[in-house]
Amino acid sequence: MDFIGAYAPDHLTFLLKGFWVTLKVAFISIILSFIIGAIVGTLRYAAIPIVSRVLAVVVETIRNLPLLLIIFFTYFALPEIGINLEITYAAIAALTVFESAMLSEVIRSGLKSIEKGQIEAARSSGLTYVQTLQHIVMPQALKRMVPPIVSQFISLLKDTSLAVVIALPDLMHNGQIIYAQKDSYIIPIFLIVAIMYFIVNYCLSQIARRLEVKRA
Amino acid sequence: MIEFKGVNKYYGDFQVLKDINLSINKGEVVVIIGPSGSGKSTMLRCINHLETITEGELTINGTLVADKKTDINKLRRNIGMVFQHFHLYPHKTVLENITLAPKKVLGKSENEAKETARYYLDKVGIAEKADAYPSQLSGGQQQRVAIARGLAMNPEVMLFDEPTSALDPEMIGEVLDVMKALAKEGMTMVVVTHEMGFAKEVADRIVFIDQGQILEEATPAEFYANPREERAKLFLSRILNH
Repeated sequence: MDFIGAYAPDHLTFLLKGFWVTLKVAFISIILSFIIGAIVGTLRYAAIPIVSRVLAVVVETIRNLPLLLIIFFTYFALPEIGINLEITYAAIAALTVFESAMLSEVIRSGLKSIEKGQIEAARSSGLTYVQTLQHIVMPQALKRMVPPIVSQFISLLKDTSLAVVIALPDLMHNGQIIYAQKDSYIIPIFLIVAIMYFIVNYCLSQIARRLEVKRA
Repeated sequence: MIEFKGVNKYYGDFQVLKDINLSINKGEVVVIIGPSGSGKSTMLRCINHLETITEGELTINGTLVADKKTDINKLRRNIGMVFQHFHLYPHKTVLENITLAPKKVLGKSENEAKETARYYLDKVGIAEKADAYPSQLSGGQQQRVAIARGLAMNPEVMLFDEPTSALDPEMIGEVLDVMKALAKEGMTMVVVTHEMGFAKEVADRIVFIDQGQILEEATPAEFYANPREERAKLFLSRILNH
């Protein structure tokens, strides 16, 4: 094992560059999938006649496909129908589609967990359905949803590594390039890559814990 | 004011309400009693459209409750409801629980809503709990907040759905006292309860319902002294003789 050679300054800079791509792709996908997931989850919860049915089919389809397949699809299949996405955008698109579906389910079940009595109390005081959702259901549901939402964010961040298959220059990908030079780099590079993933995800889960305690 | 005319309600094949005819006048206190599963809560919940009726006519001040053209939110402003399990909003303080609907539905200002809320909190005897959260209150206190929450909308009628059934025995009195005071002030009240003492003292009329049917309608004095229906006699003997 050649730690000194593996951790040469050039290598570290290269890894950090990859790490930056990972964070960027993850961050953008998290924001987008949270927004889409929230909208889809709420629409499904609201049981709007046709819309909710259609969304259910779409969400179930996506949720039951492997993410890898979706990544391949956005990069290799979309160009066939005239949509060419750069690697980064293809990765973001694939992750967003997949994680939106996952998050919409988290959000829908969070909303559903609020007791019917809460809704009845609000509606019987004259609040509209939307007002009830806004002031009674959502605030309470959000509190319950923080832990599963954050764990979904964490798995999204980890899932960015799957985009190596379309050569997204992320942390995983750049790590591979380095250890491909020499077998003695493999373990040191795996180690540091693992530590980088761990640190950012651990921070996320700690933030979630704080939020949970504060809002409890 | 509230008028049931030939109201039927089914859950699938099961008929929960059978040909309900009942009219409740302004200022009246009507107590609905009956065995569990008799449909008394369902009947109450039809009044503010938490349950839909299948057939017949149900009107409030002449407005059809179940009509598509009726603005149900507008109708509900006028009908306060108190539930067995309180259903206070756990993420809001007592004051916020009470001010929410007046602010959002009636468009009252924050200050105005707070003032009204404090007035009613004082009335139900827990002014000092304004800034507490529901989880910090006893069951009896929570139910009194729920009553204040209903009153803050200044409704014409208050519905009570077994308001004391989820309470510890020692807390029942404080809630019933608030309700008695309300009745004396002339509030129109429809109360589903098992509290016979309350019914006897406060009710203008007792409605006995069993298997979805109104079997007897009488003043408390008549009803307790001389129930006409066999089923009512049996019911009374079961709940009064312990």
